[in-house]
Amino acid sequence: MELKYFIIRRGLIIIPTLMGLTVLVFILLWAFGPYQIAVAFNPDLHGNHGLATLANYLDQQGFSAAVINGQLQFTNPIGSYFRFVADLFTGNWGQVTFPSRVSTMTAIGVFIPNTIQLALGATILSVIIAIPLGTYIGARPNTPADAVGRIFSLSGYALPAFWLGYILIALFANHGIGLVASAFPYSGSGVAGATGVPIGEFGLSDPTHILLIDSLLAGNLSLFVSAVAHLVLPVVTITYGILAGILRFIRAGMVDAAGQEFIKTARAKGVPERLVIKKHIRKNALLPTVTVLGLLISGLLGGVVTVEIVFNYLGIGYLAVNFALGVQVWGILALTFVFGLILMITNLLVDVVYAFLDPRIRY
Amino acid sequence: MEQSIQIGKEEKQLIVEDLKVRFFTSKGIVKAIDNLSFYIEEGESYGLVGESGSGKSVTATAAMDLIPDPPGRIIRGRIFINGYNILNDLERLVTIKVRSPYDVRIRRRKRLIKRHNYIMSGIRGDKVSMIFQEPFLSLNPVMTIGEQIKEAILLHSRVEISNSIIKRETLNEDDIAKMVDTLMAQPDNQTRKKLIARMCSQYAIPDLAKPFTDLYENSTDREFIMKESLALVSTKKVGLNLEELEQARNYFLLKDREHDLYLKLIEAEKQEDEVKIDEVRKQIYQIKSQIRSDYLLFVLKRLFLKRFMDRPFEEYADGRVLELLTEVNIAGPERVMDAYPHELSGGMLQRCMIAMAFSSNPKILIADEPTTALDVTTQAQILDLMREVNKTYNTSILFITHDLAVIAEMCDRVGVIYGGNLVEEAPVKEIFYNAKHPYTTGLMNAIPKAERRYEKSARLESIPGSVPNLISPPSGCRFHPRCKFKMDICSEKKPKLVEIEKNHKAACFLYSDEVEEEVEEDVP
Amino acid sequence: MVEEVGFEQTGLQTGKRYSPRVEQFTATLKSFLFYKSAVAGLIIVLIYVGITMVDIFDPALFGIPAATYTYINTYAPQYATTQQTYPSPFAPGFSHGFIYWFGGTIYNYPLLPAMFASLKFDLGYSFLIVAIGATAGSIVGVTAGYLGRWADELMMRITDIFFSIPFLIIVIAFTVAFTAPLHSSLNAMLLALIIVWWPIYARLTRSLALSTKSLNYVEAATAAGSSRIRNIFYHVFPNVLSPVFVQISLDLGSIILIFATLSFLGVGGFFPNGTYTFPELGGLISNGEVFMLSWSTNKILGTAIIWWPIVIPGIFLLIFTVSINLFGDGLRDALDPKLRK
Ligand SMILES: Nc1ncnc2c1ncn2[C@@H]1O[C@H](COP(=O)(O)OP(=O)(O)O)[C@@H](O)[C@H]1O
Ligand code: SF4
Ligand SMILES: [Mg+2]
Repeated sequence: MELKYFIIRRGLIIIPTLMGLTVLVFILLWAFGPYQIAVAFNPDLHGNHGLATLANYLDQQGFSAAVINGQLQFTNPIGSYFRFVADLFTGNWGQVTFPSRVSTMTAIGVFIPNTIQLALGATILSVIIAIPLGTYIGARPNTPADAVGRIFSLSGYALPAFWLGYILIALFANHGIGLVASAFPYSGSGVAGATGVPIGEFGLSDPTHILLIDSLLAGNLSLFVSAVAHLVLPVVTITYGILAGILRFIRAGMVDAAGQEFIKTARAKGVPERLVIKKHIRKNALLPTVTVLGLLISGLLGGVVTVEIVFNYLGIGYLAVNFALGVQVWGILALTFVFGLILMITNLLVDVVYAFLDPRIRY
Repeated sequence: MEQSIQIGKEEKQLIVEDLKVRFFTSKGIVKAIDNLSFYIEEGESYGLVGESGSGKSVTATAAMDLIPDPPGRIIRGRIFINGYNILNDLERLVTIKVRSPYDVRIRRRKRLIKRHNYIMSGIRGDKVSMIFQEPFLSLNPVMTIGEQIKEAILLHSRVEISNSIIKRETLNEDDIAKMVDTLMAQPDNQTRKKLIARMCSQYAIPDLAKPFTDLYENSTDREFIMKESLALVSTKKVGLNLEELEQARNYFLLKDREHDLYLKLIEAEKQEDEVKIDEVRKQIYQIKSQIRSDYLLFVLKRLFLKRFMDRPFEEYADGRVLELLTEVNIAGPERVMDAYPHELSGGMLQRCMIAMAFSSNPKILIADEPTTALDVTTQAQILDLMREVNKTYNTSILFITHDLAVIAEMCDRVGVIYGGNLVEEAPVKEIFYNAKHPYTTGLMNAIPKAERRYEKSARLESIPGSVPNLISPPSGCRFHPRCKFKMDICSEKKPKLVEIEKNHKAACFLYSDEVEEEVEEDVP
Repeated sequence: MVEEVGFEQTGLQTGKRYSPRVEQFTATLKSFLFYKSAVAGLIIVLIYVGITMVDIFDPALFGIPAATYTYINTYAPQYATTQQTYPSPFAPGFSHGFIYWFGGTIYNYPLLPAMFASLKFDLGYSFLIVAIGATAGSIVGVTAGYLGRWADELMMRITDIFFSIPFLIIVIAFTVAFTAPLHSSLNAMLLALIIVWWPIYARLTRSLALSTKSLNYVEAATAAGSSRIRNIFYHVFPNVLSPVFVQISLDLGSIILIFATLSFLGVGGFFPNGTYTFPELGGLISNGEVFMLSWSTNKILGTAIIWWPIVIPGIFLLIFTVSINLFGDGLRDALDPKLRK
């Protein structure tokens, strides 16, 4: 009952933040817009655009009429902001020229499933590793095991993801030195088409654009295996990067919980050491770990960008970098909006789940 | 010496002897407890007083072997609980090398420590319980009160619970007839009510106590009572698998025996009695192999279906929790059972702690400033409750406080602790009317008293200075920097705690010349 | 001597009327020296800083050409125009003189001076970004936290927004788009990073200011009629300072990693396509990628595998980021009275 109001109230807080996000996006549009227009008139400024006229350029960028007005006249920023917001929320996101000239919506829609599969893999792997490992080292702080765990997690922070990608490729991929094994392909997300799975837009498989599922739908097991193999190295790379934060969080939570007075009570009533850790310390330590989910998601969103480039993996991060390098204004704005939305909703969910799990939270 | 300790161990529930506790911190070694000895007899309430920082909590936690390691360790001593020395294997658990006060290497023997913990988890909560100063911090915030008390019950009373449940399930008409006859023969309602409660508890139907009582109050017709009783009891019989229950009971019995054997093993190891060690080892091995051969299926089943198999136990424990909560005078126990600690007041929580501590009828209760964090009226209620419980269960209480008024109200004998040393010990009257040690007299004079306002010297005398830093405590008598009667010897030699009058011990050169020999040790 | 009671007492809890800065500092220092890994981290970081200093003031000391800019003209003019083939660089070893100890990278540029030059760039500019971000963020955060109410709420919402944008993408786009107006991609990148980097400090200092406000001696000062501004400067800022230092040390590592990632993604970089932008460790690593393509053929042919252009700068970077993280962690623990042993 109370929880319901809490969710509603917490949900309402999103609205100003969301409005703020759209304002920021709008300001970015203003910031990029004139520059783009200048480029349009003076192609020498930026090599990528060979556009001759403003009309052509605007058409190509797919600006809505509302934005053009707001953009060029600068007379009615409030009005054009609201028209812009209307465009944003109705999915009227203009056009991009990468990967080819399509609507932004289409491009994102086609590339996103691949990333979801990557992100899901990394989330599952990092949770599988982090929770047992974190509780293990958290239960014995300042021991050799703890030191190993600490260095392991620190190196996750300290390594550039792409460098780790290179090293993994060198060690494990069949394009690399193959020092250890040559089990994993190092680039792309798997080859479809020739093996019976239909090819859709931009060379991604159909119908879901997730080769893992499409190959199974087509009953092609060897392709499925190849798709899994393609996933391994990118997933490991991302996981290594985000693992550090979660591990550190769980460890700190364990150490913190172990020092609390009620742990002494548990021992005093004769709870065996194993159960003290499992039932009392870990439960208290893992509750706040739910909040790490937010950390995890933002880590993932950052991680996919680099990793998808390293492994030539056709996902949203790959798309984003190409948007950014080509200053594809609508693409950048749409992705900013989408990423921001994902993070905000994640944080909302985290708060709600946490409130649900922890009896101490007062709604 | 050894001989005299052995004698009379039966009456003495808790004996602490020659206790020495150290904390190894980055600032140096905290000499928290030195040469501390005391004992508590059955049903007795022993008070430990001292300023804050004098080592009361450390003594209490050491008595349960709960000193947090790191940074602390019990270095030496014997602690007899129920006649068993829980520090039997102390020397073998770790080796401590002190290179300098800031560089102490401790090597822990993991397997022995694991065994020690196993032993202790069977003793803590069962033979000896503890309640703490801060009820808000002492209960697990993410478990309900009911769950936490239930956990304590289920940890130590599995065999008894199985027996009760089996008894209930096999309860027949004859038994009930016998029960009804005894109950009807009772002279008054009060005794009958108590008897009913006990019977119900024995038969694992504690929640029937109230309907039964009502029944006898409203009717004297034996036929009617008989019929009603049968009906009531039959609602409680759930038709459990008796075979399984008996198997569970036997399994837990074996487990308990294994635990007892380990106690024997450690004792034998301490005495270096090779023959006995071998014998006990063989017995343990037997039990282990018996569990392996006869109860393998049961253990496996428990591993996967624990929740399902524990249901009768949980139900029983739920009833017992209600009973306990009622016993500690909590209004609306059903509501409190499902509440989380943050939803209750400090007094309520302390009552719950007491309920939890008494869930397995321990012989010893250690209470570390149980009322300090509470306001005055609640404090009085909790003290009343503790006294009551003390009487009904004949429990020995180690009562720790810095409040002399509470001591006067609660305790039979009192020990005064200063800087990790016991400086005086006497019956409570002696302490209040005939205090010997300058520190104790100082404490007495610091009590605000109404009549003193009208005396000439209308000032509270406080002891000058404060508790010493225990990393580098004062030489000789630790009290000498603050003592009004300080003599030359006081800063050189350490006075020994000796009997200066009958039942009255003090450690002060004003009364005795005996010196505590300070021996050079590995750990200073 | 008789004054000390327990270990629990620190200046923060005893409610003294002056800020307990000096005691805290010595306690922190002692406690910090206790964390051996943190001290080791600090030493390594200082070595790196030392290298940078020497490289700034007297690069010739290392036998490094004074102006690395001139490299393409002096060392490998032929490659500046023809970019098609990449000849094998020298392998690590002592046969080609000091600057080739760690071998060469693309165009056989010597790795050692390249790494030193990159380090100078990385350390200098990451420090610039963190310094500006920390100052701006702290001012905003402390003010918001101290004023409370609507100012606080507004700042929280704004930082919320900044925390929810994909800043890497924004930074890339900003850098690319504003290279021309700001005259160089470096300027654009720095500006972009500064813009996204202040909110973290605002958040941190806000919560610290909130907790400092309720400390006994600050309340005492307020009650004694000390003005708000005075309070902020005398009481709140000093307490905020040390956690900010911790965050700065941790962020130095993070920003260098972001530089590296940006170079890798094609913003800036060492010699992309033979045109020089700015030397940077991540760019140096990515330059090695061109040799990666030949690894499998090298393996088949049995010729030497050119691993060092990727591995050596990577390890050089890794040592620095690990050290500064160890240092920052140790500092954080040392500053936390709760964690002090
Ligand atoms: N965990 C610990 N680490 C270091 N020193 C401790 C620790 N616990 C207690 N001490 C020291 O032991 C001494 C006695 O403390 P304690 O028993 O808590 O006093 P009190 O009589 O107030 O209960 C104090 O000097 C304290 O500093
Ligand atoms: S021994 Fe000396 S210093 Fe200690 S209490 Fe007695 S008189 Fe005072
Ligand atoms: Mg205490």
